[in-house]
Amino acid sequence: MSRVSDYAYINARLRARIGIMRSSDIIENMIKAPTLVEAVAKLDGTRHQHIADVYRSTGDLEAAELSLIEEQVASYREIVPFLPPESSFFMTVLLEKLEMENLKTAIRLWYSASIMHHSISDRAKYVCRTLIVHPIDYDRIMNASAFGEVETAVAGTPYKDILSAFTFESLSKSGLFPLEIALDHMWFSHLMEAIRKLPAADRHLAENIYNVDIDLKNILILVRYGYYYHLEGSMLSEVIIPAGYIGTEAARRGVLRSDDPITSLKDIVHRRYPAITEEIDNIRRTADDFTTMEENARQIMLIENYLAAWRLKAYQRLLLGKPFSIGVVLSYFFLERQEDSMIQAVLSAKSYSWSEGKIREALGL
Amino acid sequence: MSMFTQKMKMLTAVVMENDRDSVVRALLRKGVMEFVHIDALPADKMSRLSSHSSSVPRAALTDARVRIETLMREAGISLPDIESVDIDQLPPLDMEGYRRFLDRLSGSLQTIRAEQKELNEKLLSYSEIQRYAAEGKNEYLDLRTGTITHGSAKDLLSRLQLIDGIYLFDSEPYISLTFRRDSQRVSDLMDKFGWAESPDPETQKNALPEALGKAKDLSREIQQKLAELSEDAKSKILESRDKLIPMWTNVRVHELCEHVESCFSYTKNTTLFSGWVPAEYADDISRIIYEVTKGVSIVEWTDADSLPRDEVPVAMKSPKILRPFQRMVDNYNTPEYGSINPTPFTAVAYMLMFMLMFADVGQGLVLLLVGLIGSSVYRKHPEMKDGLLSRYLCTLLIYLGPASMVGGLLFGSLFGLQIPALWFPFDAVVEGEPVPGLINSVYDILAITIFFGIGVIYLGLFLNWINLFRKKRYIELVFDKNGIVGGVLYAAGIWFAYGFVRSGYRVFPSAPWFMPLVAFCLVLILVKEPLEFIIRKHRGQDAGTISHLILSTVMEFLVEVLEIFSGLLSNTLSFMRVAGLGIAHASLMMAFYQLAALPGNAIAFVIIALLGNVLVIVLEGMSAGIQSLRLNYYEFFTKYFTGHGIAFEPVGLRSRIVSD
Repeated sequence: MSRVSDYAYINARLRARIGIMRSSDIIENMIKAPTLVEAVAKLDGTRHQHIADVYRSTGDLEAAELSLIEEQVASYREIVPFLPPESSFFMTVLLEKLEMENLKTAIRLWYSASIMHHSISDRAKYVCRTLIVHPIDYDRIMNASAFGEVETAVAGTPYKDILSAFTFESLSKSGLFPLEIALDHMWFSHLMEAIRKLPAADRHLAENIYNVDIDLKNILILVRYGYYYHLEGSMLSEVIIPAGYIGTEAARRGVLRSDDPITSLKDIVHRRYPAITEEIDNIRRTADDFTTMEENARQIMLIENYLAAWRLKAYQRLLLGKPFSIGVVLSYFFLERQEDSMIQAVLSAKSYSWSEGKIREALGL
Repeated sequence: MSMFTQKMKMLTAVVMENDRDSVVRALLRKGVMEFVHIDALPADKMSRLSSHSSSVPRAALTDARVRIETLMREAGISLPDIESVDIDQLPPLDMEGYRRFLDRLSGSLQTIRAEQKELNEKLLSYSEIQRYAAEGKNEYLDLRTGTITHGSAKDLLSRLQLIDGIYLFDSEPYISLTFRRDSQRVSDLMDKFGWAESPDPETQKNALPEALGKAKDLSREIQQKLAELSEDAKSKILESRDKLIPMWTNVRVHELCEHVESCFSYTKNTTLFSGWVPAEYADDISRIIYEVTKGVSIVEWTDADSLPRDEVPVAMKSPKILRPFQRMVDNYNTPEYGSINPTPFTAVAYMLMFMLMFADVGQGLVLLLVGLIGSSVYRKHPEMKDGLLSRYLCTLLIYLGPASMVGGLLFGSLFGLQIPALWFPFDAVVEGEPVPGLINSVYDILAITIFFGIGVIYLGLFLNWINLFRKKRYIELVFDKNGIVGGVLYAAGIWFAYGFVRSGYRVFPSAPWFMPLVAFCLVLILVKEPLEFIIRKHRGQDAGTISHLILSTVMEFLVEVLEIFSGLLSNTLSFMRVAGLGIAHASLMMAFYQLAALPGNAIAFVIIALLGNVLVIVLEGMSAGIQSLRLNYYEFFTKYFTGHGIAFEPVGLRSRIVSD
């Protein structure tokens, strides 16, 4: 089949939805609504109607948010069958990300209950149990008393091998950070593999987008863990994702094995993203006093905002590019995720009675 | 109904400052004026005027209105008919009081939601317990049956209830069913009260079903309470209905007044305003202003003809019956001021096209019934959101159904079955059966639609000539591709093509007048640009250089000739789709009846025939509707509809949304 016949239907369908999404005033109307009840009412008649319905019938914002995740999964599932096989495999990997985040939530709850001895029943209710990509027994994870049971819960999935590398003792000692990083690495390697399988034109588009995504992740790892939390050089080399411009360049130069990997990584970042040089330099390598912590958090937020704006531009360019490609699909899911997270953020802010100004500031609007 | 766009007049009025509010309200009640920002006046006059300053910003009024509407919608309260309200008797605007009231109402809803959340959390726990039991995941549950050796059972229960679970503490032995993940917390509490597990195996065995039964009862109870609370939230708003409606009316009227007054300018004691009004209402407006101001006002009217055509807003007056077709025209664009109102022509052309493509008495009746039922449902439930079958579509079906039925009678088709035809049996012709009369093959059907297309195109050209004549654009009227010369060339082309077809596609017709006529028309097209150049020169306007004239003459000539020959030809052939869809409709129905006959079973026949009819009604109906619209937009409108107009948007109490 030609690329036109591959993408003609989905291109038309998604562009129509993108048009509706972009012309919609949902977020603005929700921010303006003086109370949570009124903010939720703004979802009436939109594609998020069911969130309003769930909230009206239960009053439970977390239950409403859970339905948002289920909606995201349904949205991926709806599109995947209309794509050519290589692209649908790629989209399934993207859906895997959603699953991985859900799995992380479940493991965090298990960790909280088994290692930290906290009650998790209040939060366990709101973990998505729907089949996303792989059959995971979330009930088992959250009710596991031993780490072995958590491993059994993911048996037959790609997560099994990752979890097998950890033990109850190692997690008790080091926390969940290494496990979560390992999961991230696994997902990025799946992503790279899926991108490699795409046809040349789609591969080029996906690489452009996800290389930036990986760079963003690496920059945040560098500033958060390298600077902020004093992660040692050797540990940093395990954390940095070996892909994207930064990861590839770091591997090529062998900086992760050098004496001062942080300075070398900083140099690589400066070359590629000079606009955030100042913010990265402003991060101080101490987190002891409150003022420094606050200032560091502010700098990180500036970096995140810059990178978010970069990403938004990249997706917008995709929309203006070739119509019969994976580009429109990627843009659609990006815009959908962006709208969903905005809605989640506004609803949470409204539940804490934040003012309109404070919400706008937090959302960078 | 007016054949042309409505004649407009521009009002400029000066009233005393004291009369301003009364004049605004009177004009809002009439609702026929589109206000114009007075800053369009020359700068020297503007400098002596001040702009409007309001006590309550319009944005605040809009926010308050939207807020009231949100709460009203939450309880399904429809917006009131503001026209039935005496707007002169409205109470003073108490924005602070309104805000407090709305905050209170919203707060009480929030309280209900908080209660719901608490209940829902319990419901989720009970559901999780029941699910584990149903899925045989009893290992995630912690069931205990026993008694306490010290302390009070009531105290233990009150503490246990902070942990999710089912507790049966009415009689001994007590039962506790919790999650295993909470077992440490449960044990800690129970130990404090000296919990002793019951040794009786029978008690242990019955405890789980008993606890699950309780979980089921509690879940049912909570679900009921949640539904009640949901209704309570609605009732809370409904109780405030008598306050919300006047509040909304007051805010809305003030919002409209603010919008209108934002267009005004002021001197120390007077207010100056301006706006467009359809000429037929000019006397009414003058009378209203004089009455309200008791004659202390100056009213001046400017005729739209004395202003540039593209600055005048366009209002079209079509009978109510043609409203669905008016919307088709509006969707396309706004016609130029003073040109022909396309609505009645669109209505006739659209229904004729649909009739030819979807001719069936039975299926037309179904469309009519769907339209009538849908419209009636929407009328009964005004708050209902538009579904796939929207309000507009339902209304349109009420017209298309009868059109299809007339077609069915003309061509003898009832649910795809042949009935006596008033004109010729369409289905029989498509099937290739011998049919008496002039129409006896699909080629004849194609010819009918070609002639129909020629008729539509000529009607479009004729309407364009009228428009150009009214606009006094005589050069275009004569020399343009859609002008008289285009029409003559089109006629010559039709004669030529007709002769060729009549000869059995063997010989091109010849006549002594043909070539000279075509050549003469081409010369006319060629001289159009130079003629315009001379006229512009004569009038002292910028006509450009000679080299520019030569280039534009050649280019213009080539493009025009190409458009006349290929454009009109493709426009005409495009109408063959009318025949194509009609033939497809007949063929599909034939195919379904043949399929239905295959099993040789009456029930199967009825089911397949029914499904076939449904499929054809939905797919073919939709297809015929879209193609009719396409033919109107691209083949008909392009001949006479320039779409250069600005829509007239009067502001009145009924105005839906007012935005700057």
